[in-house]
Amino acid sequence: MIPVLSREFLGILRSPRALAALLAAAVAFSLLVLARWPAGGIVDLSGAGSRGAFLVFAAALLGGVLLLVPAFPASSIVRERNQGTLLLLFNSPISAVGIYAGKFLGVLAFAGLVLCTTLPAAAAVYAMGGVDPWQQIGLLYAVIVVMATLSIAIGLLVSTRATSPDAAVRVTYGLVFAVAFLTLAPHALTRGTTGLSATIAEWLRRLSPLPVVMHLVGQGGAVGGGLLEKDAGVWQFIVGGLGLAAVLAVATILQLDHRLFDRSRDAGTITDDQSLWVRIVRRLVFLVDPQRRKAGIPVFLNPIMVKEFRTRRFGRFHWLLRLAAGCAVVSLLMTLAATNGTMDWGVETIGGLLVILQIGLVVLLTPSLAAGLIASERERGGWPLLQSTTLSGWRIASGKLASVAWTMLLVLAATLPGYLVMTTIKPTMWNQVMLALVSVLLAVAMTLALSAAIGAFHSRTAAATVTVYVVLMILYLGPLIIWAFRGDPFGEQVVRGALSITPLGAALSVIGMPGFTQYELIPIAWRIAGTICVASLIVYALQVWRLLRPE
Amino acid sequence: MNAPADPVLDIRNLTKKFGAFTALDNLTLSLRRGQILGFIGPNGAGKTTTIKILVGAMRPTSGTATIAGADCVRDARRIKRLVGFMPDSFGAYDNMRVREYLDFFGAAFGIPRGARAKRIDEVLETTGSGWMQDRYVEALSHGMKQRIGVARTLLHDPEMLILDEPANGLDPQARIEMRDLLLKLAGLGKTLIVTSHILPELSRICDVVAIITQGKLRAFGTLDQIMRDLRQKRTFEVQLCGPAQVETAAAAVREALEPGEREGVKAHATESLVRFDTARSDTELAAILAALVGRRIDVSQFREIPKDLEDAFLSVTRREAPAA
Ligand SMILES: Nc1ncnc2c1ncn2[C@@H]1O[C@H](COP(=O)(O)OP(=O)(O)O)[C@@H](O)[C@H]1O
Ligand SMILES: [Mg+2]
Repeated sequence: MIPVLSREFLGILRSPRALAALLAAAVAFSLLVLARWPAGGIVDLSGAGSRGAFLVFAAALLGGVLLLVPAFPASSIVRERNQGTLLLLFNSPISAVGIYAGKFLGVLAFAGLVLCTTLPAAAAVYAMGGVDPWQQIGLLYAVIVVMATLSIAIGLLVSTRATSPDAAVRVTYGLVFAVAFLTLAPHALTRGTTGLSATIAEWLRRLSPLPVVMHLVGQGGAVGGGLLEKDAGVWQFIVGGLGLAAVLAVATILQLDHRLFDRSRDAGTITDDQSLWVRIVRRLVFLVDPQRRKAGIPVFLNPIMVKEFRTRRFGRFHWLLRLAAGCAVVSLLMTLAATNGTMDWGVETIGGLLVILQIGLVVLLTPSLAAGLIASERERGGWPLLQSTTLSGWRIASGKLASVAWTMLLVLAATLPGYLVMTTIKPTMWNQVMLALVSVLLAVAMTLALSAAIGAFHSRTAAATVTVYVVLMILYLGPLIIWAFRGDPFGEQVVRGALSITPLGAALSVIGMPGFTQYELIPIAWRIAGTICVASLIVYALQVWRLLRPE
Repeated sequence: MNAPADPVLDIRNLTKKFGAFTALDNLTLSLRRGQILGFIGPNGAGKTTTIKILVGAMRPTSGTATIAGADCVRDARRIKRLVGFMPDSFGAYDNMRVREYLDFFGAAFGIPRGARAKRIDEVLETTGSGWMQDRYVEALSHGMKQRIGVARTLLHDPEMLILDEPANGLDPQARIEMRDLLLKLAGLGKTLIVTSHILPELSRICDVVAIITQGKLRAFGTLDQIMRDLRQKRTFEVQLCGPAQVETAAAAVREALEPGEREGVKAHATESLVRFDTARSDTELAAILAALVGRRIDVSQFREIPKDLEDAFLSVTRREAPAA
């Protein structure tokens, strides 16, 4: 176990990105405290100022753990398996439990190191007064460590099941964010009701660290429309989180055996060679059968774009159709729910939820498709082959972007029926819907360009995916968090500035989502998104050109 | 060897430096149309560097290289049409079948759809891999991948094929098949450049061989010419009647040789023989034999060991290696 642990830990520490993350954490937390330090050294005895500082500190700590930790366990096992070193470990006297414990503690040690760099900031928050060292700061750290533990357990489980590091990274981030945020959704929907579903929702809510952290910083009930109210159950979260992590750990260890290496290769069965019945059934199930023999790429299409569609599992047409169908159903259901009055939400709230659904899809799907556009070629050895063809850099760059753009447009188009129903109910909203849709399209363009540009600077898909997700989460979630604390501690100006960084705020405000209506964001947010988009595209094009040039 | 009259490949004083490190040092060679060039040297010799310069993926620090008159630096686009290049890594794409894979690269070279389908059938036929057209590329075995890699280089019907380590990692059977495939390609009139870090692997089918170590060209010509140059230093074995006198015999041989050759004398007690390398003439060798017999050592045989390719290769590469 010890050799696995030290190799894992040192391996992380040696990667320049982890070191950069560590330094960034240290610097960010020092700046945070400096910025919040009472002017003139006068300590505010009421403690209001320091509570604000503690709030920002806690949010940064939680955000840091959610963004930073999952990347490391997610790629840990699958990368070693693909490189062949996992097989070597299996043939050593170290048991499966030992391998697991080594990897687990290695990542945890790194997380601990990052947390240590935040201790001076914690001490400074305490020195400002008004914050209890054990009941608040101590418990906050406990909650953060539990969340880190849970993230690592999720990451390692995903890593044993995944076939590629970048897929593992995507799924892990998805699950960690689901635990942190989606667990709150059922509670929000069943609030005020009783019965089995309400009880289950209440239990699910206990898994999210969000209400707990809010409670600890003394903001419970102040934000989120009462979503994070009353007794937050700090201990329930700690026990529940550790329990879940233990269950996941056992599930992972049970999988760490020969089966990891004993997977048969796909024999390449093709539908065209199968019986008529199989062909008919597959036609009905898939509509666009991925295992049908394909016709050649038509000359008028960019071959790079077609190749991108064909090589990704998720982007293949039968998946797209399923996703699109799912989106259409969800968006229609949401609108219908509003019209039937089963929920006393106004049309505006539904519109806001539609916008959040769309932009959520954009932020989650775009990086998974765009971050690896260039990195995967470099990682898998495709780049020198592309270099040796007569394709121009322009066609390579644009074909890759187009493959993602069309995918996203298709998915978004599927959410349009919801808007259509909305505008039939309330025709006066036509203008607002148009402005919101333009904002969403800008969000697609900006997210795509930014993901492609950042991803192009990596030679590993997993690393590219992590970096892009971290940047996008900060860009899109950061402003929403600042908005959630509007009034205290963030002033109107700050909130408005933060919301204009992405087109999300603009879309929400034009559609009339409660809480966003007072912000006038349209020209400025569009301008910012356009600038980011154009700048990213230029950077992306330059990087492709640089990579294609002879060394 | 004199420069051929109509060289399809012409490399002149090619040098590539990475910072202070010289990966390729003043390389000059040329090749006639339809020939197979075996570009041979140990790992890190500079083979891949040379090839990358030829296909326009790297810029030389100095010197020039032309393929069929096209300059490898200035006429990058023409070079891409003239050359089919297989790098030392395969370059697989996920979820892509062999046929789709070839179709993509065919489209990338701008071959129209109808002609492309026909061409794919042809290259699959040539490489004997038609039966794997529906397999997923990432699930192919190493040998199958190498064939598909060769098939890919043939798609746009290039004049010259440049294959980096095509036989690397193949089992003996697959290696023979790869050799046959290369001969078949030469039969189609292609000029081939094939690299290897193992001399015997490919040299038998090559018209010309270039041996490179540490960025310098050590030998260039037909295999026979190179072997003749290398044969200056010969290996001999003294077979004794029993193991008892092996050490005495070895001492006697050492005494008769130049100091530089003395470490090369090996006594093999189990086989009752002494082996040594020397550059001495036949008369001097006769004196050694006489000395052995004079010491009452029972010699049953005194024979020269014919050198094979591998020894020749090792002697070239060792001769120039630094004393480290
Ligand atoms: N991009 C590079 N930067 C620095 N050194 C390099 C680079 N590419 C190759 N080298 C060095 O040049 C030498 C020749 O490499 P290479 O041509 O790949 O050898 P091989 O004959 O095995 O193909 C090696 O010592 C290698 O380390
Ligand atoms: Mg090489």
